[in-house]
Amino acid sequence: MTAALMAIGIGAALFLLGTRTPARVQNVLLPVCVTTILVGLWDLACVVSGTTVFPTPAKTWAAFGEIVESERLWGDTVASLFRVTWGFLGAAAVGIPLGLVVGWSTRTFRALNPIIQGLRPISPIAWIPIAILWFGIGDGAGIFLIFLSSFFPITVGTMAAVRNISLVHQRSAMNFQMTGLDLFRRVVLPASLPQIITSLRISLGVAWLVIVAAEMVGMDSGLGYLINDARNAGSRYDLVVATMIIIGLIGIVLDLLIRQLEKFDEVRWGYVNR
Amino acid sequence: MSDKKPKVVFENVSKEFDVKGEKLHVLEDIDLVVNEGELVCLLGPSGCGKSTLLNIAGGFEAPTSGTIKIDGELITAPDPRRVFVFQEYGIFPWASVWDNVVLGLRHLPSDKQHTIAGEIIDLVGLSGFEKTYPMALSGGMKQRVEVARALAVSPDVLYMDEPFGALDSLTRLTMRSELIRIWKDLDPTILFVTHDVDEAIQLAERVVVFSSRPGRIAGIVEIDLDHPRDLGSAQYGVIKNQLYELLGVSHLI
Repeated sequence: MTAALMAIGIGAALFLLGTRTPARVQNVLLPVCVTTILVGLWDLACVVSGTTVFPTPAKTWAAFGEIVESERLWGDTVASLFRVTWGFLGAAAVGIPLGLVVGWSTRTFRALNPIIQGLRPISPIAWIPIAILWFGIGDGAGIFLIFLSSFFPITVGTMAAVRNISLVHQRSAMNFQMTGLDLFRRVVLPASLPQIITSLRISLGVAWLVIVAAEMVGMDSGLGYLINDARNAGSRYDLVVATMIIIGLIGIVLDLLIRQLEKFDEVRWGYVNR
Repeated sequence: MSDKKPKVVFENVSKEFDVKGEKLHVLEDIDLVVNEGELVCLLGPSGCGKSTLLNIAGGFEAPTSGTIKIDGELITAPDPRRVFVFQEYGIFPWASVWDNVVLGLRHLPSDKQHTIAGEIIDLVGLSGFEKTYPMALSGGMKQRVEVARALAVSPDVLYMDEPFGALDSLTRLTMRSELIRIWKDLDPTILFVTHDVDEAIQLAERVVVFSSRPGRIAGIVEIDLDHPRDLGSAQYGVIKNQLYELLGVSHLI
């Protein structure tokens, strides 16, 4: 099987590169070829090393079916997504307004920036004991950890965005005597929005990393817990790897979803080369 | 234009900046009277302080000494009665052409906003682009939006800081003749900063020439030519030589 996979992958890749296939087709098919080759190598490595613990691609595929059928997958995925969603939305709801105000007002910036910068480098994982102490084992702790992991990148990203508003736009706003809420609604927020969306995107990626780690250490449900459980229940590494792949796929979907925010006319100017 | 009522009066304006503990004299003793409805170009090499002078007149910066008055009133802060047109697109890229133009009209009832903005958009030749976002417009059209946004509030004074500097040379020519048309139509006082000798001669009634560091007024040249101006005329050449001389540059290369 190994040889066949690799031959197909390499052959197809060479064919694609050799012929004048449109870029769009190549964009889809070349990664497929490379993945096929990598799966072939994975299989080869299993055969050559004679491992009995690490799963072959075929065994992983079977494990895939097993998790889907066991209906645990659904529950654990929902548990992880639930924590990420609420923690992330909470962080955005607090972090964006806070970042706007702290970024705009120099005094508030002076007062709060050192504290924010001091708390920011503490890994959310380090908060796990405190999260469990305060919220117990369960969704509360998970949401709190995701809130922490998203809050700092969102707040700092929003602050930076506000402080980067171009002088010309600030002066335009001054020239037309914009103040208070009017100024925030018409200039400060829209001018920072592209960078805010970028920080949301980064935070969501980080949140998805953190939730798995948190569930492995301090929770009794979720995809991270599923991995831990599979290992503890008789070294089922086939289940471990299958779950890892599922986590990766959900991560891609989350990123695709949040990237939709970049497509609005109001923010697209922030992503093209001017 | 014939009544010659003073509009913007600069008296002894000087400006110093602190650069790493050293004082940098940017402007020294600027005395200048710009009359109502006049189109005056401030011409000088880069770094001569002409943009700084405009920023002070706009209320964005304070002079180190001296005063600037408009209609006898001391300038202390920006005001929509005098609007700035920037070189690097001061319009908001997150708002449509329409929303940009009505920016200064936001306190008016919406039917009034519609009449004024509609007229102005028509005047600058942007009809049909109301819903477009600046990103989709060419450089020249962006500057039309910016000019429209400024004109919408019917300002007494327009400050234009090298507004056509980022445009290609053909678009620049069109924009200049459009500016003259609009100026004749609405009659605002215009202070126009440029480092382009031709631009100054094509636009201005008077050209104020700056020497560099510290910026001082090297001379003022009246341009007594009717619009549209013939760029190939003998007089044009004479004025050009005069300006080059004041700038201290040779017109022979």
